[in-house]
Amino acid sequence: MSNLRIFFSSAIFSFRAQFSWLNPPMWLTLKFVLGLSQMAFFVFVGQYIAQGQGQDPSKIVETIRYIAIGNALQTVAWNTVFSVINITGHDKWDGTLPLLLATPASRLPIFIGRAMLHVLDGMLSVAINFVFAIFLFGVNLGNADLLALTIAVILTAFTMAGFGLLIGGFSFYFRDPMVLANIFTFILLIFCGVNFAVDQLPGPLQPVSWAFPLTYGINAAREAIDGKSLIAISPWLGLELIVGLVSILIGYIFFRSFERVARKTGRLEAV
Amino acid sequence: MLILDLSKEAHKMPPQTLRVVYSAFRMAMLHWVADPQWVIPNVIAPFVFTVVALTLFRTDPTGQFALYAVLGGGMMGMWGNTLYSSGFAIEFEKWQGTLENVLAAPSNLMHVIAGRSVSNALLGLTNMVAILLIAAFGFRVSLGVANPILFAVSLVLTLLSVSALGLIFASAFVLSRSAQVFTNGLEFPIYIISGSMFPVFVLGPFEPVSYVLGPKWGIDAIREAATYGNVSIDFWKNIGIMLLITAVYIAIATVLFKFVEKKARRDGTLVEA
Repeated sequence: MSNLRIFFSSAIFSFRAQFSWLNPPMWLTLKFVLGLSQMAFFVFVGQYIAQGQGQDPSKIVETIRYIAIGNALQTVAWNTVFSVINITGHDKWDGTLPLLLATPASRLPIFIGRAMLHVLDGMLSVAINFVFAIFLFGVNLGNADLLALTIAVILTAFTMAGFGLLIGGFSFYFRDPMVLANIFTFILLIFCGVNFAVDQLPGPLQPVSWAFPLTYGINAAREAIDGKSLIAISPWLGLELIVGLVSILIGYIFFRSFERVARKTGRLEAV
Repeated sequence: MLILDLSKEAHKMPPQTLRVVYSAFRMAMLHWVADPQWVIPNVIAPFVFTVVALTLFRTDPTGQFALYAVLGGGMMGMWGNTLYSSGFAIEFEKWQGTLENVLAAPSNLMHVIAGRSVSNALLGLTNMVAILLIAAFGFRVSLGVANPILFAVSLVLTLLSVSALGLIFASAFVLSRSAQVFTNGLEFPIYIISGSMFPVFVLGPFEPVSYVLGPKWGIDAIREAATYGNVSIDFWKNIGIMLLITAVYIAIATVLFKFVEKKARRDGTLVEA
């Protein structure tokens, strides 16, 4: 019971902490503007290339659809990767890290709890951006298996939060985690099949793609949108879950290791 | 005799405005050298966007798209860094505890921010260098500049235009507590509207919005100079419009900065805001 209380406290306080610098109207603005503009940028690039190459209209529509769906799903990373990594940064900047480490509370619920409301926020981002994809870029969900798609989105949000915790745990060792937050949010656009399929990457880089839960999640969601059932996409979801859990585990090891070193050296903010 | 010596020294010194701009430019550069991690977030997004575009463009047999990607990547780097530095121009002074000194100094606040804005636009160009290397070695794209002199001229003028727009943002952001949020929220829309990675006709009914952005005309001129040895009249037209718009930016920024400075001195709340 105590662990559950710690888990929820950690979830609520970590989420509320971001509003020390982000007021709610601006949070809404970012929620609606950031994902839409990112999606629009890549859709316009894809459209320009497709038109310039003289592709037939159906192929141009397919390109736009591919990019819009990928970017709608990638917006989950803004909450589950960028925001979660920045929790570590704010713990350092706001001076709350010593208090966090001084508490006798169990570390695992603190560590996992801090990402949990960002998971819900990430799902909301994906939902909003799917609305943009449907109404502004003509994505048709008519054939989609909505149950399979919903589960793919939920699992992607959870596992990407696991990835955020991994990098967040690693970030304890850096003076400014914001740098890592930026790097690991944006490189997903290259590696995870957001704007182009993974097999279009140079061969040596392709294995890197499978280290990110988002790659599996996007594949699962694309197949669900094409009408495949939950059972049919379950291999993707299974692999995604494994990668997500391993990420959380490694992130937790980083966190505990940082705590040990910080206690030993007394350098909490910049070990 | 002493008076004569001082007047000699005065002749050697640049006009006060340029001296202030240069000093702010130099200080900003020194800050980046001392703490380079701050530049990383601002070039990450343009860099990644350009790599994605290059990957999408790699099937293009003409190489025309690659030019858009590389030059657009450089432009986005300038944008990202200038927007960021504008958003944080005053915030940064607060963190350093130097805002009171800057405001109390007889130098014009706008000249201080201008120097910083130019330095940040220049740093944003590092993205273009990174993209050139990636394009050349990673994507085997051969990129020649047909008219290097006009390319350099248009690049420098575009950099000044981006910096001038940064001044407007800086003055507007000073009045808001959410400069950081505006900075993040405006970054991608500006990449789209400026047509950095694709011609603005792709925007359809939103195309006219891009006409008020000086750098839109600048990137058109840069592309023309990179593609043609003998540039057409369009090159000069683009440069002319960009200079005109830049002059308007500077006029607007001057008015806004006077307002901000007056408000800051009168209310005395800028440091706490």
